[in-house]
Amino acid sequence: MGGVLSFAAAPPPPLPPSAADRLPVEDTHKDDQSEKVEKPAGEVDWLNLPCPTSYDELQREAMMSLKPELFEGFRFDFTKPLNTKFSLSHSVYMGALEMPSQSPETFKVPTAHYEFGANFLDPKCMLIGRILTDGRMSARVKYDISENLTMKINAQLTNEAHFSQGMFNFDYKGRDFRAQFQFANNAFYGGNYIQSVSPHLALGGEVFWLGHQRKSGLGLAARYNTDKIIMTGQLASTGLLALSYVHRASEKATFATDFMYNLANREATSSIGYDYLLRQCRLRGKIDSNGTVAAYLEERINLGVNFLLSAELDHWKKDYKFGFGLSVGEF
Amino acid sequence: MASRADLKGKGKAGKGDDSKGTFIKSMKQWSTWCMKKAKVATQYGFIPLVIIIGMNTEPKPSLMQLLSPV
Repeated sequence: MGGVLSFAAAPPPPLPPSAADRLPVEDTHKDDQSEKVEKPAGEVDWLNLPCPTSYDELQREAMMSLKPELFEGFRFDFTKPLNTKFSLSHSVYMGALEMPSQSPETFKVPTAHYEFGANFLDPKCMLIGRILTDGRMSARVKYDISENLTMKINAQLTNEAHFSQGMFNFDYKGRDFRAQFQFANNAFYGGNYIQSVSPHLALGGEVFWLGHQRKSGLGLAARYNTDKIIMTGQLASTGLLALSYVHRASEKATFATDFMYNLANREATSSIGYDYLLRQCRLRGKIDSNGTVAAYLEERINLGVNFLLSAELDHWKKDYKFGFGLSVGEF
Repeated sequence: MASRADLKGKGKAGKGDDSKGTFIKSMKQWSTWCMKKAKVATQYGFIPLVIIIGMNTEPKPSLMQLLSPV
């Protein structure tokens, strides 16, 4: 979610990574390819620029390569399709979850939970619901009101008071621009706009307003992509600068690096990683400037059966996390 | 008589302001009540709603397929 950089709300207890986040997102890179008009090299059709990726997904390729869903413990995901459009999912997790704490030492709580989910996927309407054994529920709705206007609702509900969050988004897709308006439950209003200014470059900006804390913010973003490279930059008035660079060396290998600088407390974080998409497996590894080395392997044992291995070594804090799991039913 | 009319006029103006204030207050209370009920309804009803919608699409899956673990 693109709001992460600029939206600071009361931190809710962390929800475990669920299959909902890994569902297929529309591949807009393919759209860029098909909308390129056949013109002799060097000539640009300024009236027919391709539609840019949406503002939330500016850094999608970098996030996918550099931030896999690392976990600690044992995980088992089972997706059972009942229909081409409808499926149920069962997910079991046993391990230690890290509780956000103010002190520098990590505070881990051993937990085990079962998550039940139902997914309904239609070209026009997508409904995903997940519920945990402790009552936490997450719901996602994506509905195409018309060909260009989409409504998305994202809600995380808990039994504890004041920790529930809900967000409504309205997205409008123009010929070479996208506009989005969002509002969330604790008086958060935001909007963003991104426009293609050349066949490879898109520029955009966002504005948000937090009602309860009377904070407002502005952000600017730019994305430059060709077949081989994708460069993005984002600057927010909250004092965050995020740059990323993704290099697609071949169909099977991608390298990515990102840099984040916090102007308020003068902290910089940088990470570099690789993403190998091989026939039987997908291997992602990264190293961080915080002294963290992480790797995530998804090995395809059989059609629909994937074996997962996750490792995250934080040498600075001396925190080592290893996880293994099995994922059945995700093709 | 004039003073009574004045008092009546002032009283009416006072009541007008009050009614606007109470109207906004009652709207806020009503919308909070609405949000609480909507949250409970979503928490209990969203997943059954998705299941009902899914069970009614073609080809219709059977109840055994829904409940069995295989």
